[in-house]
Amino acid sequence: MTNFFDDVFADIADGDEDLRDLLQHLSNILPDAAVVIYSDRGTVIGDPLPQFSTEMLDGCREQADCTTVKSLCQLPTGEWLNGIRVDEHQALFFIVAEGQKTTLSEVPQLATLYHNSIKLALLQKIHEEAVIENEQLGRRIEVVSSKHTQLLDDNHRQFLLIREKEKEYAKKLESEIARQTKVLRKTNARLEEASRLKSEFLANMSHELRTPLNAIIGFIGLLSETELTVEQAEFADTIKKASSSLLVLINDILDLAKIEAGKLELYVDSFNLDGLAKNAEEMFRSQALEKNNTLKYRIDPSLPSHLIGDENRLRQILINLVGNALKFTSKGEVAIEVDKIDDTEEDVRLRFSVKDTGIGIPKERQKAIFDKFTQADGSTTRKYGGTGLGLAITNQLVSLMGGKIGIESIEGKGSTFSFIICLKKSEAQKETLPVDSGVESESTGVSERTEAEDGRTEKKAVETGLKILVVEDNLVNQRLVSIMLKKAGCSSDVAGDGVKALEKLKANQYDFVLMDVQMPNMDGHAATRKIREIESSEEKESFRSLVGRSKPLYIVGLTAHARKEDELQCYEAGMDHYLTKPIVKEKLMQVIEDMRRQKA
Amino acid sequence: MPSAQSLVNKFNDLKTLPHVAIRVTQMAGSDSTTMQDFEEVIKLDPILVVRLLRLVNSPYFGLNNQVDSIAKAVVFIGMKHLRNLVAVEGLRNLFKDENDGVQFPRKNIWIHSATVAILAQMISRRIFGEDGEDVFLAGIIHDIGLIVEDQLVNKDLVQVFQGYSNGSQIISDIEDEVIGTNHSKIGRLLAAQWKLPDDVIDAIRFHHRQDKSYPIPSVISILQLAEFMAGKLNYGVVTGRCDPLPHYLTAHLKSKMADYKVLLKAFPEEMSKAKEMYESDDGH
Repeated sequence: MTNFFDDVFADIADGDEDLRDLLQHLSNILPDAAVVIYSDRGTVIGDPLPQFSTEMLDGCREQADCTTVKSLCQLPTGEWLNGIRVDEHQALFFIVAEGQKTTLSEVPQLATLYHNSIKLALLQKIHEEAVIENEQLGRRIEVVSSKHTQLLDDNHRQFLLIREKEKEYAKKLESEIARQTKVLRKTNARLEEASRLKSEFLANMSHELRTPLNAIIGFIGLLSETELTVEQAEFADTIKKASSSLLVLINDILDLAKIEAGKLELYVDSFNLDGLAKNAEEMFRSQALEKNNTLKYRIDPSLPSHLIGDENRLRQILINLVGNALKFTSKGEVAIEVDKIDDTEEDVRLRFSVKDTGIGIPKERQKAIFDKFTQADGSTTRKYGGTGLGLAITNQLVSLMGGKIGIESIEGKGSTFSFIICLKKSEAQKETLPVDSGVESESTGVSERTEAEDGRTEKKAVETGLKILVVEDNLVNQRLVSIMLKKAGCSSDVAGDGVKALEKLKANQYDFVLMDVQMPNMDGHAATRKIREIESSEEKESFRSLVGRSKPLYIVGLTAHARKEDELQCYEAGMDHYLTKPIVKEKLMQVIEDMRRQKA
Repeated sequence: MPSAQSLVNKFNDLKTLPHVAIRVTQMAGSDSTTMQDFEEVIKLDPILVVRLLRLVNSPYFGLNNQVDSIAKAVVFIGMKHLRNLVAVEGLRNLFKDENDGVQFPRKNIWIHSATVAILAQMISRRIFGEDGEDVFLAGIIHDIGLIVEDQLVNKDLVQVFQGYSNGSQIISDIEDEVIGTNHSKIGRLLAAQWKLPDDVIDAIRFHHRQDKSYPIPSVISILQLAEFMAGKLNYGVVTGRCDPLPHYLTAHLKSKMADYKVLLKAFPEEMSKAKEMYESDDGH
């Protein structure tokens, strides 16, 4: 073990460090004696003995004992030299006491004293090392304990850090969620906008489609009234039917687009419930007969005769349901039923149902038929026709009224479509509208209406003497209206826009004006306002049509839309009346008749 | 002649250094590192994870609890201690003989480094009552420059060793002459690159300096003491040759002779414990 030390300390130490320590200890224990150590390597620790020859040292070495201190030889001074060999340190330890002239064997107490002294010195040396070792172990323990504390501190620090990080992470997560939500909202808004634009486009498109279609329907009507060969009449009839069903389809698409764009609003007013049902029944009477179906309607007698709701839309729902029922029924029965569920003082809840004894709808298809462009089965379209839009619109309209359409159906036995809505009771029972007032609705079956017109005989045009200004930008429509007016016995002039209309009014005298709303340069509203402005100023003197009238000039607006807001806008601009396009002959005749009577 | 920096750059390009070990040594120096960060980095080297857990669970540490994750190991033995284990693991492979030590046994350097590290840590703990983790790291890493030289200028290094074995010059002086730089300079650059503690970097940089005094205790003074003792105990870089003790340390050694005697008595046991720990893990 010690050789490690010697290796390391070879350059620094002489190897006698331990012996020096021992000498120090021994000198302290025996202050009155002279102590000296002779190592085997030949070094002397302590004051060398005087007159001590090598021979004497060798002699002592031989005599010296490892176990006891012995008197080895007498020094020239007369004192005895006592010594012991300490193998552990490879050295001879000598003790000389002043005045000791006898050998130790004669003074055993002294021998014991020296022996114990050397033993003590050796033990003190060992003790010293043990103390150092102890110190080092103490330091180790200190290190461990400080490391322990440090670990605790460090772990605590990490704990705090981790907690902080977790908080940060949570925060990050939150802000990330917020960010994503924002992005999603934006995207959502964009998509909604895109969808709205799409619907708007569709609505515009439908409008654009309707304009020429109106012309087709109008002119085919006029054509039918001319003298035609049987074949020509048949062709004209086909064109009329085809264009009418196209108009229905376009109206459906327009409705759906409006609903999806959130633009469809209900216009509630008082209406006659019986009139509504009867109207629907009458509309389909001939169609029902064609397929040998009975069509009937029944209204719960406990229901009030007048309610407040959007009559046009309700009619549209019934027409769709009845049309649908008839489409899939032959030699059977279709019934419209309206029942009261319950009522309060103000409201009444009622169930509308349309029952048929047709082919029925398989259960698994019942949900899908309210989807757009879906029918009970793909082949239905080929067999029965239709776009599949009707029920989707119906469903949406019912939802808009706060109801939910339900269906009960047994395959081969028939189907019942029903919905429950809540309507307000009407206080004042208004005058029932004419049965055919449905034509005002954009979506009421035009085909049925036109068919109804079929049977009518052409009335001979009676000269009314009325002169009318038609303000219309579309050339085809200009012509159509002019012809209609001519047939009604009126003469007319045409102006392409509001500016030209004012010129005409200045130059000529007219009995009333048919004013299109949508026009370039100056639209119908602006033109009407201008006319009203002129009427209330001195300027009117220079307008032949305006001067010298007891009443303001009668202006009838022409709009493609039948919305309440369009109507209101017309009145706000100062118009007296308005008609929707395509112009319904009867309505126009009504206006002409009114004006004729007024003039008379 | 290449500069220390150019050698370090080349060495970096070789990517021989264990990436994970470097990251871990960097992280251990930061106050913002947590056991989770440690775990995440060490996890990149699954073999290292297994070895570390085996080491930490060896009798050497005498832990009562089974340590089954790196995070737990950090909790029980501390980040710096774990860093040292990772450094030992990383460097041990690096010090393995590539050409089976035909001309230059890397294993000698490894044993020398491990001995210096253990002695340095003992001195730090027993004489100065410090934890000795950084001192250990300095010990294990102080001769990394020799590995770089072996890798890149092997022939020159062989010449250096011949000159060193047969002469009395300090090794870095011979390196300067033959190679143009020395392993202390290279080691210092690498240590700085790994963001080791400043006193560890300085210790690596100056561990062969004879003419300057450093405070006692300090990483460098303890490293120099350990380097000297290792050489004396025949664990030098080259067997049988050892540089003299820098002068300023002689007085210290003399005054603490009894202390060092006790320390050296305990040294064989410490060595065998360390050996046992790694050998039990190596399975040979």
